[in-house]
Amino acid sequence: MFTLIKLIQSLFGALHSEGTPGQLAAGIVLGAFLGLTPLFNLHNAVVFALLVLLNVSFAGGLLGWALCVPVGFLLDPLFDWIGHSLLLAPSLRGLWTSMYNMPIVPLTNFNNTVVLGSLVFALLSAVPLFLLLRWAVARYRVTVGERVRQSRFYKAVTASKVYNVYKLFRP
Amino acid sequence: MSERLRIFRWRAIGPLLVLFVIGAVLWWLFADTIVRHESQKVGTQLLGARVEIEHLHLDIANGKVLMRGLTIASPHEAFKNLLQADELVADLDVVPLTEKKLIINRVAANGLRFGTPRQTDGRVASQSGDGIAGRVLAETREWASQFQIPVLQLATGKISIDSLDPRRLSTIPAAEALGARADSSRRAWQTAFDTLRLGPTLDSASATRERLRHARATDLATLNEARQAIDRLKRARDRVTALERDVKAGVADLQAGLAGLDSARRRDYAFARSLLKLPSLDAPQIGAALFGPGALKPFERVLYYAQLARRYMPPGLLPRATTGPRRVRRAGEDVRFPKERALPAFLVRSAELSFLLQPTSAQPRRYAGQLSGLTSDPALYGRPTVFGATGPQLAAGAMLNHVRAIPVDTAGATLGGITLPAFAVPGVPLRLDPGAATTQLGFALKGDTIRARFAIRSTNVRWTRDSGFAKSSIGNLIWQAVSGISNLDVESRLSGALHHPDLAVRSNLDQAIASRLRAVLGEQVAAAEKQQRDRVDALIDDKVGPVRARVNEVQTQAQAQVAQQRARLDELQKQLEQRLRELTRIRLP
Repeated sequence: MFTLIKLIQSLFGALHSEGTPGQLAAGIVLGAFLGLTPLFNLHNAVVFALLVLLNVSFAGGLLGWALCVPVGFLLDPLFDWIGHSLLLAPSLRGLWTSMYNMPIVPLTNFNNTVVLGSLVFALLSAVPLFLLLRWAVARYRVTVGERVRQSRFYKAVTASKVYNVYKLFRP
Repeated sequence: MSERLRIFRWRAIGPLLVLFVIGAVLWWLFADTIVRHESQKVGTQLLGARVEIEHLHLDIANGKVLMRGLTIASPHEAFKNLLQADELVADLDVVPLTEKKLIINRVAANGLRFGTPRQTDGRVASQSGDGIAGRVLAETREWASQFQIPVLQLATGKISIDSLDPRRLSTIPAAEALGARADSSRRAWQTAFDTLRLGPTLDSASATRERLRHARATDLATLNEARQAIDRLKRARDRVTALERDVKAGVADLQAGLAGLDSARRRDYAFARSLLKLPSLDAPQIGAALFGPGALKPFERVLYYAQLARRYMPPGLLPRATTGPRRVRRAGEDVRFPKERALPAFLVRSAELSFLLQPTSAQPRRYAGQLSGLTSDPALYGRPTVFGATGPQLAAGAMLNHVRAIPVDTAGATLGGITLPAFAVPGVPLRLDPGAATTQLGFALKGDTIRARFAIRSTNVRWTRDSGFAKSSIGNLIWQAVSGISNLDVESRLSGALHHPDLAVRSNLDQAIASRLRAVLGEQVAAAEKQQRDRVDALIDDKVGPVRARVNEVQTQAQAQVAQQRARLDELQKQLEQRLRELTRIRLP
């Protein structure tokens, strides 16, 4: 229940933040990386650092993460297939062999089929997802955004103390 | 009006650094615990049995790992450990860790103990069946189950008989087929006789003979007619001869069919005999029944570890996929990409092992062993993995040579003076306590060809009688046969293609038990076998008798027909030729 409330707060907080649609979309896309790929991997430390350091919506990042975790679970068989195809492609064997025998790179677990497959999927879907989200947020704000902001439900949600935590990281 | 959009959130650097410091402190505090848990997890996954570590200290700065209280459960036995170690100290190469490669220069393992009891079931692979260990375990179990170990049913000495299904007898369909073949031959031969058309030839020859009887020497037309008749008779005889050859071949075929019925009957006797649950009276069968199950276990276990080594230490440098780490998300597969002249992913350059055998005895014996070249990429390391151990009454060695395309795994051990646990002898109401015995194991797996030998020798065995069979006459018999034997000499050999090798087990008890059994059970067995033979005969004779008669009738009829026609032809030819000679004889005045 708490997670759900947090998610709703995050959603409203992000949609009605002062950030631009682009900042919000970029945050969600970075969060999608965290959700789509297995969490405890080195590349996700880099993604998290980018989410914190870049002037994107942190709340959007949490929202993207929360929304993409179930998607990641659902798409794991696809990720496995993509990773398997890429890692065992004869034409790419030289690349993978070089990377596998470099310092640090093997610590990213790129040689795991699910990790590589999900990362490639996230990278390929990043730009279309960003463009789509930026357009959707802009449309939301000019159409129903103001009415939602005036609603009791929105006020109740944003009045929660948890919301204040998100405000710390709003763009 | 619009403020230029900033890319970086500089104020977040502080919290990020704090987070990094917190992470570093947590690592410093919990690194040992994390590494210990991960080592347990990976070890358990690799071996298919629970790996437990009481204490682990990681000193990355000095490249040292100290492990205390290592316990590895047996993947085969529920409440037994494969080994326990008091202490392990490993010297690591730190730099390869950045490439996720674990290079251990030296390991010193002290206080190793084998086969110690444990409180909980530590088997993982046998229960889950997951991962490489699970698959290898299932494969070796299936491999072991292919051996048909005969079972001695001596507990009561009774002979039971399974029902005999006539449909499973081979004589009946063979008799039906032979009957059909006889009918077909009869029809074919009759057709052949008809096509010979001997009647007109014989009639014509008879008429010529009559005319010739009243003819004179100057009656040239009749003489020519007689010569033509003789030629026709000769040609007819040739046709009969050809048919006779066919009949002879056909008769031989039918005779072979009758012989086939006899061999089918013998097979049916054997099949019916197999339905008898007889105690085997052959010495090799008794050896296999008594010690086969026990003798197979060491082979199965050594094969499990050899196959596991082949999966984890494959030859060659091609990419290899193995099951990925367990996590909430799908594990996927980890693909390794070994590279020439690079370090292997895992290597133990050398290990010194100090271990105890029979640690619970009053005077446990200490042994020393060495291990070198244990690696995940033998082709990169370029040398085989070698293990050796020596000590009082112990000589053991093993070599895993996966450097070339065809892997060769060998192991050998001789261990003396070890008290083996007493065990119930299968099928016999006895327990055997081998006492202090000498055990030998030899194992060689070259590619897919296996040769293995396992032997136990003891000079001080003790027999205990199972009280549940105190009144069993067979129990008494076996007891009398073996209770006076104080030597035990069991040897099992395995050889051939790995997927289907031959197993031979012999022991010095085989002959003793076999001769006793033969003396007592011989008559019962003979009676039961006769009973089964009678049952087979009763089922078969109804079918075989008429067929046999039909075959005999067909062949007799055909042969008689041929002989009769041939005789008539011969007789007529003879008469014609004789009369012709009389008429053409030149009489000198």
